[in-house]
Amino acid sequence: MFWEMIKEEWRIHSTLFGNLIFALFPLLILALSFGLSLLYPLISNAISANNFWLIVHYFFLIFGVIVGGFGLLGKEFMNRRFGQESLIAYSSRSLPVSEWNIFLNFFFKDLLYYFILWILPIFLGLFLASPIISISFNALLLLFSVFLSFMLGLSASFILSSIYSYSSKFLIFILIIISIPLFFAKLNLNFLYLLPSYSLFINFSCTNLLFSILIISWFSFISLFFLRIDYNSGSRMFNNWFNNFNKFLKNSFVSKDLLDLHRSEGGLGKIIFSFIFPLALVWVLLFFFFSILPTGNFFLVFSILLGIICSSMYNWLTEFEVFSSYEFLPVKTSKIIISKFISYSFLNLVAVFILIIACIQSNSLNYFFHGLFALIVSSYYTLATTVFLTGLYPNILIYNPKIMLSYLVISMIVPVLLISVSLINPDLLLLSPLIMLINYFLLKASLAKWDSWNKFQL
Amino acid sequence: MFNYSMAESVIEIKNVNKFFGDLKAVDNISLTINKGNLFGLLGPNGSGKTTTVKMLTGQIKPSSGEMNVLGVDVLKDPIKVRELVGIIPELESPPSFLTGEEYLNFVASIRKIENPEKKINEWFNFLEFGNERKVLCKDLSRGTRQKLMFAQAFLHEPAIAFIDEPLINLDPIMQYKVKNFLKDYISKGNTIFLTTHVLEFAESVCTNLAIIHHGRLLYAGNMKDIKKKKISLEKFFLEKVKN
Repeated sequence: MFWEMIKEEWRIHSTLFGNLIFALFPLLILALSFGLSLLYPLISNAISANNFWLIVHYFFLIFGVIVGGFGLLGKEFMNRRFGQESLIAYSSRSLPVSEWNIFLNFFFKDLLYYFILWILPIFLGLFLASPIISISFNALLLLFSVFLSFMLGLSASFILSSIYSYSSKFLIFILIIISIPLFFAKLNLNFLYLLPSYSLFINFSCTNLLFSILIISWFSFISLFFLRIDYNSGSRMFNNWFNNFNKFLKNSFVSKDLLDLHRSEGGLGKIIFSFIFPLALVWVLLFFFFSILPTGNFFLVFSILLGIICSSMYNWLTEFEVFSSYEFLPVKTSKIIISKFISYSFLNLVAVFILIIACIQSNSLNYFFHGLFALIVSSYYTLATTVFLTGLYPNILIYNPKIMLSYLVISMIVPVLLISVSLINPDLLLLSPLIMLINYFLLKASLAKWDSWNKFQL
Repeated sequence: MFNYSMAESVIEIKNVNKFFGDLKAVDNISLTINKGNLFGLLGPNGSGKTTTVKMLTGQIKPSSGEMNVLGVDVLKDPIKVRELVGIIPELESPPSFLTGEEYLNFVASIRKIENPEKKINEWFNFLEFGNERKVLCKDLSRGTRQKLMFAQAFLHEPAIAFIDEPLINLDPIMQYKVKNFLKDYISKGNTIFLTTHVLEFAESVCTNLAIIHHGRLLYAGNMKDIKKKKISLEKFFLEKVKN
């Protein structure tokens, strides 16, 4: 079943882009990693080699956390991801194969794909650049330790999401208990060096190796043991909330989006695992950065990064949908995109709430409006870029190397500009709403592009 | 071109082709369907029935040819066509996280139907699933989902309804009700474009029909003409397809 799933995954993507184009995707990631690694000499004065490796390991940890959240999987995830496609993942309906068996195969298949599409190319890019940037390391050990970092992030996310699937209140309680001391106390960044995979890379020892593997195995074992694949709890009934929402919002698609978010599996969990959890790690890492960099304003840079991470919420909004259910109704693609923009704006209120907490925590009340503008501008700019390039299918089209490259280049223009402005003169950020004009024209161009003919199906 | 009546035409297809890569799914079809007909498009699996319906309703673009539905050029204004007609798609797919009642309100809102509650209630009563109106669509049985798709297609009382296998998953009592509804619907001057594999069903309701195979139209004509031949539709169909 495992190899059949591998073939199936390949065909899902290759039928969209062609075998060659999909095969080029890891090469693109390799090239990007190589290019970024070449920039290391520019920052080597401020960031020592050990800190550089620490950042590399945390990058993979955060990546693992984002990919994680498998405890929230269930059938809905598969439905959202694959629509109405008939896949091996559904075999338990007609073949004598348990859901658990299918899930394990699915999990390891995804793991292999992430390794080949992302982890290996990023590592190879760094490896190939190393002679040029005069940085030496044990290549095999690095590959192993960054993979461990990824697995640590993945398994941490996995276990927390499994807890969430049993009791969201209990998970929120745990998170609050953890975050209260972090909020009030000054962060002692030395704990960052305790990351087992990083320790293993810097100081290889059997104890470190065993420790890393034990953590991952323990997290994974508990998560798999408590895994809930079938959430079928009978027929769920609701009063007509749609009409109430629609009367207030005057937009049937936005009303439907909000009901989808509320009623689908995960609900609040999606905010925690795809947004707040990675964001908390970015916050800690940024603290670390600013503790070693000679200049810069933590709060403002965090606001800009918050805006970029916010755009991932557009992916949830589009993942819930089976757009073929609109094909037979008189609906233009542009109407759906606009409604997603509105729904996205509602979700951005979560980001504003986080911004307020960050502002208080970092004692940056003087810069609150600077940060708020930076957040809004970077959030909508990244979103407009995503919509322009991928329409209603960001999770699929991003695997097209041409789109991925365009996205990386275009989406970074405004955030880099904002970060540069925050370093030169933070007050200039008060003028950043002018950039919303660019966002407006980008959105307008997107609507025309995706409306040219029915684009509900790729 | 098949044109079997001088009455008012509501669907016109001229020299339409559709390619999927090298595969010719629809091969130079021309057809005219008149107001008040219950037209059945029959054909084996993969013969091009669903592709034809999807092109006629502006869901996919033809490779070449012209199509006109209720006086609207489908290529120029596919949204207008979908505004005017009702569609039961090949695969039923009401949104998972709306209830049946909410879904019909959602469709009514998109179709700008004012005060739809009365009509929605009528459909719940007619198709006998009012007790499941508050259940999430994903938790409904296939038959109930099909009822929901049926109701959404006729909610705005369209002049033309394109219905793909409307009886699928319905019990015999409901099938009987639906057949009578369709006959009654065309008697009011509306038109139905039906695609089905169930020849007995087609024989009992269709006024006109066409047979499509490998994307090519093999026959188009009146059901009466076939009945005059004193052979069943099944035999007629098999003869055409085998030839």
